[in-house]
Amino acid sequence: MQSIATVYFLTLRSLREAVRNPAQEAGNVLIPLFFFAVTVGSIGSIAADAFGIDNFTGFQVPVAILAAASSISASAGLGTITDIQRGYFDKLLLTPAPRSAIVFGRIAADGVRTVAITAFIVGVGLIFGTGFDTGVPGLLVLLVGSFGFGMAYSGFNAAIALRTGSPQAAAAGGLLLFPLIFLSTAFAPKDVFADWLEVLATINPITYVLEAQRSLIIEGWNGLDILWGAAATLGFGAASFTLTFLALRWRTS
Amino acid sequence: MSAIWAQGLTKHFDEVRAVDGIDLDIAPGTIFGFLGQNGSGKTTTIRMLTTLLRPTAGSARVDGLDIRDDARAVRRRIGVALQEAGLDDVQTGRELLTLQARLFGMGGSAGRQRVQELLGIVDLEDAADRAIGTYSGGMKRRLDLAAGLVHRPGILFLDEPTTGLDPISREAIWRYVTQLSTDDGITIFLTTQYLEEADRLAHDLAIIDEGRIISRGSPAEMKARIGTDVVTVQVPAADALDRAAEVAGDVSGVERVQIADGSAVVYVPDGARAVARIVLALDDAGIEVGDVAISRPSLDDVFLEATGHHLRVEEPQPAEGGAA
Repeated sequence: MQSIATVYFLTLRSLREAVRNPAQEAGNVLIPLFFFAVTVGSIGSIAADAFGIDNFTGFQVPVAILAAASSISASAGLGTITDIQRGYFDKLLLTPAPRSAIVFGRIAADGVRTVAITAFIVGVGLIFGTGFDTGVPGLLVLLVGSFGFGMAYSGFNAAIALRTGSPQAAAAGGLLLFPLIFLSTAFAPKDVFADWLEVLATINPITYVLEAQRSLIIEGWNGLDILWGAAATLGFGAASFTLTFLALRWRTS
Repeated sequence: MSAIWAQGLTKHFDEVRAVDGIDLDIAPGTIFGFLGQNGSGKTTTIRMLTTLLRPTAGSARVDGLDIRDDARAVRRRIGVALQEAGLDDVQTGRELLTLQARLFGMGGSAGRQRVQELLGIVDLEDAADRAIGTYSGGMKRRLDLAAGLVHRPGILFLDEPTTGLDPISREAIWRYVTQLSTDDGITIFLTTQYLEEADRLAHDLAIIDEGRIISRGSPAEMKARIGTDVVTVQVPAADALDRAAEVAGDVSGVERVQIADGSAVVYVPDGARAVARIVLALDDAGIEVGDVAISRPSLDDVFLEATGHHLRVEEPQPAEGGAA
């Protein structure tokens, strides 16, 4: 019970911090939207002939969502480091609150921030005609998935922040997702890939997260894609939270 | 039962022995001063006692609870204000105290009342709804102190609470600390690098140097242990210092001489009478004498006697808006 209350209070604190720093939040959403616009603008018109994708704008919406999640978690990593450097993290550790709950407050806030940005990006997509094949129920599933992925990815940055205490490392942590995005089906389906890239995309969990989101936006309900996406997110989260716990233990020992 | 007890408390960071087997036994309701210069092991000790760091060896109990086995229970009973006021610049003072109260399980109106009460105690009512980033250094220290008191702890750890503060802010913190001890009976473990602070606040004092406690007692007891006056003779020529110490040591009545910071520090009963004999002896030996001072023993003399060097105070760069 105390853990849940701690996570709740510290999530509110992190969200308040985000609201009071609108320039950072604007950066988190504008940069992914910039890449989204450039990608759609540059290859959108040939996507149907080249890849067999009619709705390339909708195809790209999940990429923008994951890029935004990456950006959010990098800024949260920096926030954790600021807390460590200012001694506020120690002040939190000196309360009787469970220490893992203290870290998860910020991670949960990242999940909420990812949900908000996902809703915004989907809205932008709708304006540009992506549509949303699974309607409001699908949107709710997408938002839940974004919450999970936002938290899962945030765990990596929390681990980096706790282990290194370095702002540079935290900033670099946000970039970890980009190689995984490029090695996934972010820009084209697997069947147009070279064999080696197809293998990498197949073992890359980001591929499954993207395809689950895409199925909701442009294909309609596909239970298998959603299950694979959920499994990939859970696996991602299990790995990142394990690293977070280890880093927290290291920092407090 | 001791408020704070430790035996053989030790912390090593690789090859560095930051704290090297210290023993503590601090009575409830007292202000315990832990005096030492930067890097002597004060902060590491406080971080172990407050459960932020695991000791390498030894054991300690705070309010009867083991710092390893009952760490969370220890944290419920202590308040802590660390050297760097650990605050979040984005929150307001009221938000920070409210969050602190909630994390200690004090929600609702009880929490709000306590926050309001503390804001009054540390004179921050007017600034309560401003972002902490706009506070001066003194205001931040006062807020940090209030944050450590939200849950009415019986034991308060203050790590160099006045380092870097201007005299007015320092005086305000001293007033709060004295009040907490006399009015509320809180046990206070206070680290400091300021002799005046230790002398003025501490009922009981330990001097720590290179991770070891080298002297223990009340400030008055420590000074009385020296038992003599202190005559400090500055010797301008550095190469004449050893000879000056030798000559001064031979003057009748002189108990001992130490060399520190370009001076011969002479311990002698009735210093007012002895000073002429000491200066004459040095003059006869052809040693040029600079300033001469006679004093009753101070904590600095206690420190010098125990360590062989004066206590070096390192002030941080003044924080922006460092006034109270």
